[in-house]
Amino acid sequence: MGQTVIEKILSRHSQNDVRPGQVIWLDLNVRSARDFGGPNVVKNFEREYGKDQVDDPSKTFFTFDLCVPACSIRYANNQQICRKFARKKGFQVFDVDQGIGSHVLIQEGLASAGTTVVGTDSHMNILGAVGSFGQGMGDVDITFAYKTGKTWFEVPETVKVLITGQMSKTASPKDLTLFILKQMGTRKGALRAIEFYGSAVKSLDLSGRITLCSMVTEMAGIIGFIPEYDKTFAEEVEELSGKAYSPLAADEDAEYSDVLTIDVSGLEPQIAAPFLPTNVHDVSELCGKKIDSGFIGSCTNGRASDFAEAARILGRYKVKEGVMLKIVPATRIVYDVLLREGILSELFKSGAIISNPGCGGCAEGHIGLTGEGEVQLSTGNRNFAGKQGKGETYLTSPAVVAASCLAGCITVPEHS
Amino acid sequence: MKSGRVWKYGENINTDVIFPGKYTYSVLDPEEMAGHALEDLDPDFAGSVQPGDVVVAGKNFGCGSSREQAAACLKFAGVQAVIAKSFARIFFRNAINQGLSVIKCPEAVDGISDDEKIAIDFSAGKILAGEKVFSFPPLPDSVIGLLEAGGLIPYTKKKLKGDI
Repeated sequence: MGQTVIEKILSRHSQNDVRPGQVIWLDLNVRSARDFGGPNVVKNFEREYGKDQVDDPSKTFFTFDLCVPACSIRYANNQQICRKFARKKGFQVFDVDQGIGSHVLIQEGLASAGTTVVGTDSHMNILGAVGSFGQGMGDVDITFAYKTGKTWFEVPETVKVLITGQMSKTASPKDLTLFILKQMGTRKGALRAIEFYGSAVKSLDLSGRITLCSMVTEMAGIIGFIPEYDKTFAEEVEELSGKAYSPLAADEDAEYSDVLTIDVSGLEPQIAAPFLPTNVHDVSELCGKKIDSGFIGSCTNGRASDFAEAARILGRYKVKEGVMLKIVPATRIVYDVLLREGILSELFKSGAIISNPGCGGCAEGHIGLTGEGEVQLSTGNRNFAGKQGKGETYLTSPAVVAASCLAGCITVPEHS
Repeated sequence: MKSGRVWKYGENINTDVIFPGKYTYSVLDPEEMAGHALEDLDPDFAGSVQPGDVVVAGKNFGCGSSREQAAACLKFAGVQAVIAKSFARIFFRNAINQGLSVIKCPEAVDGISDDEKIAIDFSAGKILAGEKVFSFPPLPDSVIGLLEAGGLIPYTKKKLKGDI
């Protein structure tokens, strides 16, 4: 009997011919923690394992991305606790200059197709974008992974989702993602792997794949894969990571727990209203709602093409007086591309506030927090009450954020 | 078999309201963590919860961030189990790794009221609420092993010593 993508990856890393429902011990190519969770991993490790070494320093990492550089003494202390631990154990830290850990692992070729990766980031399943099995976990799981190089995992079922139809020309990968999230809700893909098929997803570049795969977390799914791809995507990944792109494909006779079809014909720009990511509407339904700020960045929409799209919409115009537009590139490499291509300069001239790379406000980090009553449009992935502050966060695409910051209210970007 | 009071909540209870983000960057003692449990969902919870009490909620309990404190604070507060229609994946793992029982039983969630006294028979897979009895499927054996040992790290230590 054939296997799905996740069954193949998990089989290769557990020496089992795995089936859904089995609980397996999984070998891990990468064991990582962030400045969030990291200090507790250190505390757990020293309490449980004393002065023991980590299983394999070459596969163990810290990736600092939440509050970078530290904006409080508490954060500074936590990061220093992690640095000292890493030096003692002899493993690498991707420090506060590098950007979002999951993106750094892709660019470094550490999270390549077929690998297994864990970290203290609930969006680590973003790595499905490059065919890697990434999974966010808590402090105890990561402590255990540092020590043993393994984790326990229940093999999930897989849902096959066929995306049909052509979106409108104003719709972006984020609009596609929010629409799929609306259709899937938090039940249809819950605790399962999802394989997305169809021309609308096959043609996605790395940035678009990252956007879709990141929000599988909001679908309550384990991870998403997009098995079909164009040659240009393979070349993009190979150039970035320096590794050949050879993902595992599902067998033709693989078994799926469900096969769903989502028709995206004529799809228009989408927006998720407070306070649930699944609360998705057409942007046109909310047009005219006054906004105070815009945030472009996060692991979901922090790639160069996201900022290029925002710059294109902003053009030579300035954001409306009284509106803040916050820009946070995902990584140092993205930042470099934006610098070289003059995009940062264009955004700056439009009145944007440009931050160094990182997660921004998603987990009460730096830029992107809201005050009581503040209405913020964000390209992030969660809008739970209190998540980024006391304000209201709407989730949408870089183009909608940019257009709305010009108008001072929620606006559908014009197609040019 | 321990009995306790039910604290019933709705759907999509996320980790931000189970354990607020502002405390996650400090390394706290168990008692301090228990004191902030469900702070932004139910300010009365932490002050009144008793050992053996049960949290009952709708689908997707524990969605959101990977913070382990969300599971740990409930365990340290004395909660014997969380019964929900479904759990978010990371919370579910964290709970088991921390030795906090998690029970998926939609019928019980619909049939149990807030403040009711209930008892849980884990070996029989039954929830007893007055006259009502709800059955839940047992967890896989290997996962029960983790729970019974008190979580992931104690489990593997015992295993290495040959006690399991």
